[in-house]
Formats: sequence, structure tokens, C-alpha cells
Amino acid sequence: MPPVNPHRHQILSAYKYLLYLGRDYPHSKGYPWFREKCYNAFARNRAETDVGKIEEGLKRAEYVIKEIEALYYLKKYRTIKKAYESV
Amino acid sequence: MFRPTLLRAGRLLATKVAPVAPLRAAVRVSAPVVSKPFAVSAIRFYSADAGALSKMEVESRVLDLLKGFDKVADSSKLNGTAHFANDLGLDSLDTVEIVMAIEEEFNIEIPDKDADSIHSVDQAVNYVLAQPDAH
Repeated sequence: MPPVNPHRHQILSAYKYLLYLGRDYPHSKGYPWFREKCYNAFARNRAETDVGKIEEGLKRAEYVIKEIEALYYLKKYRTIKKAYESV
Repeated sequence: MFRPTLLRAGRLLATKVAPVAPLRAAVRVSAPVVSKPFAVSAIRFYSADAGALSKMEVESRVLDLLKGFDKVADSSKLNGTAHFANDLGLDSLDTVEIVMAIEEEFNIEIPDKDADSIHSVDQAVNYVLAQPDAH
């Protein structure tokens, strides 16, 4: 077992939340595509030990989460707008 | 509370329907009023035990779930005691996904702290069995 990473919980919960968000990701290949990308993004930094870099990565994860949330808001807004315009 | 409401509804219905078909309306309306209070079997106990899950059932459902998971490297090693990392070649990120799938399968919520302690099939099975609201 590698030494316990103090950020482990944060990282795993960010991953979990991203996966939840990815279920409705508007992409032709859908959720499996998103999962693959998300997994690779996390796995790429698997060996990272520098605390500063890890925190940077967490900030990036948070940024991506916010981006996806914003994307969904926008998608919802556009859908509703379209629905009202067609009336 | 319920009986007066029924009675009132019945009276209302009777006055409305009466001019058209007095006899049939009367019969129909009087039925619920005369009928006995609810039979015992009709009472639902919402907090009753929904039937505890058996260990075998939980294990087979967890294994089915893992069988459908495309990252399991060697499905021949799938058994009741398989370790996610050592036997199935899964890492901590995959374990998160498995925990998510288990949450959905059994309709429970597994807090991060507990999710971190699940490393093998039997640990997952025991955790689910310990949850009273798993089904």
C-alpha cells in the first residue's frame, strides 16, 4: 500500500461527482466516452506526489465540474427557450 | 375523518345523480357507508421490515454487477472473496465506480468514508447486509 494521501478523499469524491455529472454529457458517444476521458485525466496524475501539484489538480477538477454544470444550465436554458419560441 | 368525508361525498353524489336515476344512485351511494370498516389485511405497515436480503442474493447481485463491468481484467477470478485491486486488477478510481454501481443497485448511499473501506467483494457484501434500507 502506498502512503495514504491526505487528499485522497477529496480526489475520489471529485471523481465520483464528475462521473455523476457525465451521465448526461451531450456527446455522441455518451457516458462511456466521458468516463474514459475522466478516468484517463485522473490516472495520468496517478504518480503525482507534490502537494502543490495535487492541489492544482484538485482546483482543475473543480473548474471542470463548474464548467459542466454551467454547460447543463446553458443547455437547459436553450431547450426551454426553443420550446417557448416555437409556441 | 375519512367516514364523514365519504358520507358527505355520498350525499353530494346522491343529490346530483338523484334526478336521473334515483334508485341506482341510492344503491351505489349507500354501499360504502354501510360496508364494514377496512379489513385488517388492507392496512399497510410502511415501516415494516421489507424482508432482509440474504447473503447469497447480495453476493450474486454484486458479482453480476462486476461481470458487467468492462474493466475487470480476469473475470475467471470473480468469486465471493475477490479483492478489487489484487484479483480483479482494478484501481481506486474503478473502485469508486463499483461503489457507485452498488449504491444504485441496492438503493443506498455509501458515504465516502465507508466507501474507502470497501476493497473486496465480501467487504461490499457485508456492508450492504449491514444496511437496513438496502433492497
